[in-house]
Amino acid sequence: MTGTLRAGLVLGGGLVLLAIVGPWIAPDPLAQPDLITGTLQSPSATHWFGTDQYSRDVFARLAAGARASLGIAVGAVVVATLLGTLVGLIAGGARGAAAEALRRAIDLLLGLPRLVVLLVLLAAVGPLTPLSLALVLGATGWPAIARLVRGETLRLRETGFVGAARALGASPLRILRRDILPGAMAPALVAATLGIADAILLEAGLSFIGLGIQPPAPTWGGMILEARDHIASAPWLLLAPGLALVVATTAATLIGDALRHRLLPGTR
Amino acid sequence: MTDLLEVRDLRISFAPPGAAPIVPVDDVSFGVAAGEMVALVGESGCGKSLTGLAILRLLPRGAQLGPKSAIRFAGVDLATLSETTVRPYRGARIAMVFQDPMSSLNPVMRVGAQIVEAIQAHASVPFSTARARAIALLAEVGIADPADRVDAWPHQLSGGMRQRVMLAIALAGEPDVLIADEPTTALDVTVQAQILELLDTLRRTRQMAVLLITHDLGIVAGRADRVLVMYAGRIVESAPASTLFAAPQHPYTRGLFGSIPRLDGPVERLASIAGVVPPPGQWPSGCRFHPRCPLAVAACVATRPPLVADTAAHATACWVTAGSPT
Amino acid sequence: MSTPLLEVEGLVKHFASGGVLRRAAPAVRAVDGVTFTIAPGETLGLVGESGSGKTTVGRTILRLETPTAGIVRFEGVDLSTLTAPALRAMRRRMQLVAQDPFGSLNPRHTIEASIAEGLLIHQITERVALRERVAALLQEVGLDASYASRYPHEFSGGQRQRIGIARALAVEPRFLVCDEPVSALDVSVQAQVLNLLMDLREQRGLSYLFIAHDLAVVRQVAHRIAVMYLGTIVEIGPARTLIATPRHPYTQALISAIPDPARRRQRIVLTGEPPSPTAPLPGCPFAPRCFHPARDSRCTNERPALRSADGHGVACHYAE
Repeated sequence: MTGTLRAGLVLGGGLVLLAIVGPWIAPDPLAQPDLITGTLQSPSATHWFGTDQYSRDVFARLAAGARASLGIAVGAVVVATLLGTLVGLIAGGARGAAAEALRRAIDLLLGLPRLVVLLVLLAAVGPLTPLSLALVLGATGWPAIARLVRGETLRLRETGFVGAARALGASPLRILRRDILPGAMAPALVAATLGIADAILLEAGLSFIGLGIQPPAPTWGGMILEARDHIASAPWLLLAPGLALVVATTAATLIGDALRHRLLPGTR
Repeated sequence: MTDLLEVRDLRISFAPPGAAPIVPVDDVSFGVAAGEMVALVGESGCGKSLTGLAILRLLPRGAQLGPKSAIRFAGVDLATLSETTVRPYRGARIAMVFQDPMSSLNPVMRVGAQIVEAIQAHASVPFSTARARAIALLAEVGIADPADRVDAWPHQLSGGMRQRVMLAIALAGEPDVLIADEPTTALDVTVQAQILELLDTLRRTRQMAVLLITHDLGIVAGRADRVLVMYAGRIVESAPASTLFAAPQHPYTRGLFGSIPRLDGPVERLASIAGVVPPPGQWPSGCRFHPRCPLAVAACVATRPPLVADTAAHATACWVTAGSPT
Repeated sequence: MSTPLLEVEGLVKHFASGGVLRRAAPAVRAVDGVTFTIAPGETLGLVGESGSGKTTVGRTILRLETPTAGIVRFEGVDLSTLTAPALRAMRRRMQLVAQDPFGSLNPRHTIEASIAEGLLIHQITERVALRERVAALLQEVGLDASYASRYPHEFSGGQRQRIGIARALAVEPRFLVCDEPVSALDVSVQAQVLNLLMDLREQRGLSYLFIAHDLAVVRQVAHRIAVMYLGTIVEIGPARTLIATPRHPYTQALISAIPDPARRRQRIVLTGEPPSPTAPLPGCPFAPRCFHPARDSRCTNERPALRSADGHGVACHYAE
């Protein structure tokens, strides 16, 4: 295992662990135990990352936020990868007008700025549950994967071993499943892992401008939003979710890079 | 005839960190005289291309010349020169052409400009003179309408014409020695014949020494003066071409001849050589051909046979067949 | 002569270039009317230089490309009338051995998976017997049965070519298209693979369409030889007579250009290179490079038909 992969797994694993064990070791992230004297306390043994302006435990909110942020990001990427792989395989495997239409559709969607699409969509339908937010993020993220898978499918379709499989009498579906999908999945997986970082940042950004998960449910973006008014008096409010974002995106990028080296040798 | 280029005890080794050194070329010695065409023949991995590169000190990173290796050219041992002092020899005194004429030409430069660049790299002449020389060179390598073709882009030329352009570039420095590494392998049979004919003409008209590196014994016949057969990093047989083709002595050379389908005579089962060429680093003891050799005896396993020449300058490195009639 | 195993009639394959919105370039006329038959047990050698269309002929016969025009009958069945599933079933009977021993094996599959592929597709062998069958096939092509669990990158070019042959033989075909099966191999290995192909032909009663650029290699295996130039057959005949007494000027030049270590022949060195197959010539495709003394305006204006005598056909107005 390379150092890159190990570092990525340690960082990412730490956050996942935090998300999983948070409810057992931290207090209720929504509880406001003492609105008179317990607000904006600095980090201590009882409150590891301090408390916010509503006296809620920041560590508890960070852990709960990890569950929301990571869950939404991974969910979004799974949706994007499934959709993108399916569309990419069809666009690369089919011939004629249908394939050409799909190619153009992918290019058109890739040309649209994802954030603007999301803003318009969310402004129109209003706040979303975490599950539907993951679906929406996934639904706007698949064209990049589709383009990759389509290109790889086109390349593999012309290889000698696919020709040999056709000559053996393999059906088109069998060729897609045995010879093309495994090869085309490699770049898709790399792109998906790297895409987790994008999705985490997008979700945080949407929550920060109030279009993502709604308060009081904790998310990292929402925490940064709420920390804005207390930067000078309680910097830990901003530092905790900010650092968590950096660690999460770094982990995803490191793992993605390591996967790229493993699955796609010869690329940069 | 004294040799213009003389390679002595050429040894090339790679020492990968943490592994035993690999010696893809081991004690190779030969000479090429002015106007002579010497063919270096062998299968992939035998070290023939590395030998060619070593002459111009163009070895890949990590490759080292042995301490006794000498590459004598015009009274100078190129093996002792530094990177900067060897550079004036490249192109100007000793030029090289390679197998793939497409990747050797710059696709975004007109062919004339590439020849002019080569001319001006070796001599400070004004552009107009260099361009006139470029056109003359294109004519010399047999390109029709050279005054028009000088402005062509590489992609507008066929494979054979691109190889002619590569030859023109190689000739731009008026070299005394031309090293041609598989110059016709990427070409069609009829075009291959044209290029070989051209090489033959050039060395006669220019009295150039030509080292033709190839895997194909066939293209050597009737063109080369002498043939060196390489196997697993060593020269196993060396002879005047006519002698070698009439009576090959080394079992490997005989096996190669038996492996080549012929156009005349009865169609018989090909006498192939059993097994595969072992990769460098896994070369056997003694005579490196012994595991594949039908004639091998105990001495072949134990001791390396020396390259011994008979009276007709026919040298064979074999304990069994050297000097014996075919 | 018995009924042919394979009949090819007026086969044409043009490749359109350019897309929906791009400027349409002229079609590449890769194969421009090719007719021949192959009898059971017979090997036809198909010789030509790059761009002659010989590879496309092989791929079109196997329906890896759809022909633009013409008929391919295999065992009397017109392949164009078959439905896709029927065609896939037919592929058990006709197989491909491709040139590139590096690209023709899926690098992600073990040798066993590659060889077993056809057995699984056509449900030839019970799964429990698969391993044994693959081992037997490996031995038949001269490889150790223990190689089955390895991956393609662990093998040399010659070994990969043997694996490709084992994969093709697995489905027990009657007919193989061998497309330059030895041209990527070293000379000594080339001879091993040629010998293997000839042994297999004898043991299994196979027929080959043997495609190669090297006339000497083709002579080694073929009973009859067809010479292609720019998408058409310019000469076809029994291997022995075609090489001993070539009648088409192109065949004569091709034979003279082939380097032969044993003798120094009178060389005919052709000028120029084959023209582009996009611009069809009204006359003989070889006319621009032809050196025949009788060459005249008829050659450049009128396409010569393939004239046959004693099974030796030649497409030249002036061939003796």
